[in-house]
Amino acid sequence: MKLFSAKNITYSINENKLFHNLSFSVNASECLHIKGGNGSGKSTLLRIILGMTSPSKGLVESCNQDLDISYLGHKNAIKNYLTPRENLDLIFNNIELKNAFEWVQKFGLSHVQDELTANLSFGQQKKLALIRVLAKSSELIVLDEPFVGLDHAAADQLNNFLNTKLLQGVGLILTSHINPMIDCKVLELGRNNAEIN
Amino acid sequence: MLRLIKAESFKLSKKLKSWLGPLLIMVLVLIAFPLSIDISQYDLDKFYFSIIVVSLLMTAFVATEGMFEEDFEDGSLEQEFLIEKDFYKVVFSKILVYVAFIGIPIAFIGALFSFANGVAIVSFAKILLLLSLSNLLLFNLFAFGNALSINKGAMLGVLTALPLALPVIILLGRAIRSIQFDEGFTAIIALMTGIGLIISAIMPIIISAVLKTHID
Repeated sequence: MKLFSAKNITYSINENKLFHNLSFSVNASECLHIKGGNGSGKSTLLRIILGMTSPSKGLVESCNQDLDISYLGHKNAIKNYLTPRENLDLIFNNIELKNAFEWVQKFGLSHVQDELTANLSFGQQKKLALIRVLAKSSELIVLDEPFVGLDHAAADQLNNFLNTKLLQGVGLILTSHINPMIDCKVLELGRNNAEIN
Repeated sequence: MLRLIKAESFKLSKKLKSWLGPLLIMVLVLIAFPLSIDISQYDLDKFYFSIIVVSLLMTAFVATEGMFEEDFEDGSLEQEFLIEKDFYKVVFSKILVYVAFIGIPIAFIGALFSFANGVAIVSFAKILLLLSLSNLLLFNLFAFGNALSINKGAMLGVLTALPLALPVIILLGRAIRSIQFDEGFTAIIALMTGIGLIISAIMPIIISAVLKTHID
């Protein structure tokens, strides 16, 4: 089942084309890995897919207007003046909360769940932010550099989780400089062109 | 909507500086003003309202400063956009919570201090209602200014919102005179309620569009 398709996407900043006429689609149980150097437009492309940024040309069509998407970008969307427990309370409903606290345990955050999030290390904050995606049931998961700041154990857990989700029929789009241990089709962004392998 | 109101209430309750700061400023100004003049020479009840109005304007601005900035900076706005598809409900519930947590307590303090400075107790409820409605209008206007200035410096927000706040101040002045002379209060309060309802419904649409351009 096709989750969404992007047709002839072009994005320009001040006449400079970041990418040009990009067309691709993502189906259920399919992973798209967007690669490219710094400033090649990976995050911008993710934001265009999510509808947060308007493309200069082209169209992103979703198969379902109410497509349930989990997203984690560069910003963690967690509140530093709250504890991890309070942050999770804010994000999740009662049913999802139980799942979220299981991830708190798996990520080894149990001993800091009542400390201020501001006092947590960068990696711990990243894990907490990832729980937003991990504990939620969604049809499409979109992750921008999800492995940054994670230790090996957490990165392995994330890889396993994403592989499981793919088997369950969830679509996945991610950008990463590290090759994830997931079977993905790769979209390589370069200067004014892009290539899908 | 209920989820957003609960979340905003919880976040604001945890940010002591954000809600207690404006209340303390209001109290400080209202205490400091009579102390700074020789009150025996003046009928304080005649012009004490003026200082309440100025304090109201100042505290409303301070209270709404950074209303959307934190959510914009930490990425919460992006997450809400994915859930709600626009920002209308987010903005509406945020303003509602700020008015409830800060605006109405400020109005209560204003009404209390006007009574303490010689205004008749029978006017207490009228003043509380009037100041609460004024805060509803001011919070909406300053929220707009705040949304405009998220990543462009606070000055743009002030310059945009202050001219819009002036008619509210003029209306507030008229309403206060109507309390003092005991005539036409109902008409003015009905007008302010009407404007308050319209602005509360329309302003979140405008602010929502402004926020969307910021995340674009």
